[in-house]
Amino acid sequence: MIEVKDLVKKYGEHVAVDHLNFTVEKGQILGFLGPNGAGKSTTMNMLTGYISMTGGSVTINGFDIYEEPEEAKKAIGYLPELPPVYPDMTVREYLKFVMDIKKVPRGQRAAMLADIMARTQVTDVADRLIRHLSKGYRQRVGLAQAIVGYPEVIILDEPTVGLDPMQIIEIRDLIKELAKKHTVIISSHILSEISEVCDTVMIINKGKLVVMDSVENLPKHLERSISLKLVVRGEEGQIRTALGSVDRIEKLTFEPAEEDGLLAVSIGTRERADVREEVFYALAAAKCPIYGMTVDNLSLEDIFLEMTKGDEGAQEQVQNFTIDGEEE
Amino acid sequence: MLAIYKKEMRTYFTSIVGYLFLAFFLALIGLYFYAQNLYSGSPNFGYALGGVMMFFILLVPMVTMRIMAEENKQKTDQLLYTSPISVTRIILGKYFSILSMFGIVMLVTCVYPPVMAQYGTINFKQSYACILAFFLMGAAYMAIGLFISALTESQAFAAIMTFVVVIISVFASQIAVLLPTDAKTAWLIFSVLLLGIAGISYVVMHNITVSILIAFLMELALFILYQAKPEALDGAVLNVFGWFSISDRFTDFVYGEFAVSAVVYYVSYCVLFVFLTIQAVKKRRWS
Repeated sequence: MIEVKDLVKKYGEHVAVDHLNFTVEKGQILGFLGPNGAGKSTTMNMLTGYISMTGGSVTINGFDIYEEPEEAKKAIGYLPELPPVYPDMTVREYLKFVMDIKKVPRGQRAAMLADIMARTQVTDVADRLIRHLSKGYRQRVGLAQAIVGYPEVIILDEPTVGLDPMQIIEIRDLIKELAKKHTVIISSHILSEISEVCDTVMIINKGKLVVMDSVENLPKHLERSISLKLVVRGEEGQIRTALGSVDRIEKLTFEPAEEDGLLAVSIGTRERADVREEVFYALAAAKCPIYGMTVDNLSLEDIFLEMTKGDEGAQEQVQNFTIDGEEE
Repeated sequence: MLAIYKKEMRTYFTSIVGYLFLAFFLALIGLYFYAQNLYSGSPNFGYALGGVMMFFILLVPMVTMRIMAEENKQKTDQLLYTSPISVTRIILGKYFSILSMFGIVMLVTCVYPPVMAQYGTINFKQSYACILAFFLMGAAYMAIGLFISALTESQAFAAIMTFVVVIISVFASQIAVLLPTDAKTAWLIFSVLLLGIAGISYVVMHNITVSILIAFLMELALFILYQAKPEALDGAVLNVFGWFSISDRFTDFVYGEFAVSAVVYYVSYCVLFVFLTIQAVKKRRWS
């Protein structure tokens, strides 16, 4: 469906997008994740043919965006960072204009207009000037514009920015519904959003692809081992000996727990091994009762922090990044 | 192309600018018609149009400043350039909408010669040739305005630049006459012009090396010419200013001559600047 090969964008000396390679299959929802300035919007602008690439190629539906732009663009609906709306048009006029330039056959227009306005819930503001609409409504009009003509590929650059929580949920549902028939690419720096909606995540940092995989598989790419957190009653030495018999345990750390006489133990394992049963029997045999055991599941935040680690510039970004995520 | 054209026409008529342009333009033509033809009793409609000509300085920026700059500013260009229409069609749609606004004025103007005929004999052929030439002249100025608007995000900047360019063009021949005709002055003036061209090339291409190279090569060529054959530069300023003087060409029509060369000149201007606009837009997305 979408094939990106060796995509490069340079602004003078600055490399905004650095040899990106990926493919998106029909019906996939791809989440495009990265800190601010990672090259998300630049990449999307190149995918949609708004700006040119310095090198590489983008093929949409078999048509090269550079060689056959008109054919390729027919298959794309695009919502850029700022919704490209004309303030002095009403919502209805605007959507009709978009139908015009996207060459929607005349017979389908009335039905399509009604359907799209209902889906994006702009019907009640259809005859108001876009100038007078709130940011959330403008965003929805922008989204309506992107699905005009029901293109096969829908590319959305931070679609939920400026929406209230209720609208965010509605837009997410809409995106999920769209994904049944369309291929969708969404960019965001809000992690919860991506994990909610997408089946595949692509993390980019400083224009480079860090990882691309399904949401479930992402933790596998981590070097960090999986860890267990236990609350155990007993002496440190006793527990250490008991756990010494369990294979594949790499790291043990002890801290006093909140309750007296209990210890909080974290266990790091090699090769992401699941050692919960072994740990249980070992400690039971040593008569060190387990008061609590949790698997330290990594959230996308952790994964992201991990993936972009070792890069001071990115680290700073990441700070903001998690804060943004939490605001959600 | 039709979609863009319709959208632009609607924008003109939903904002005050379109009405202001039409009203202002028609009022001026009416005023000059009254002064030159009715009050002074001249049967030559070209005089009235010749008087209105200098108001292109204001009228052209008025109708062209918004046309591209506003799209760049509102980021609606992202919608246009990612939709399945070529840049050429987008620009042509916009240019034709400008021409239509001007065309409306010219259509109304076509009423004047028959009105004049009520009071005496007039030369219809010449009157309508004047109106046609006036339209083509305006079209050439408006192509320049379109081009300037495509270079910027600011309507104000587009308006001021267009204003300056049109003013230079309107008064080019008058200015040229005042300048000394010797070779040294010519050399200096051309050097300044070359700098201007290099400056424009930088605005269009955003490549300082190329612009400096262009300036350097042209200046070198000019200097060699100045050293080797200074007599070639005698009076050259007048000629060169003459080439750029869009308004001068109109005078032929006023004196009753149908100058085919002038028509070709105007049409080439339009084609050249529409072409440059298309290139500038493509280049902008390329840099």
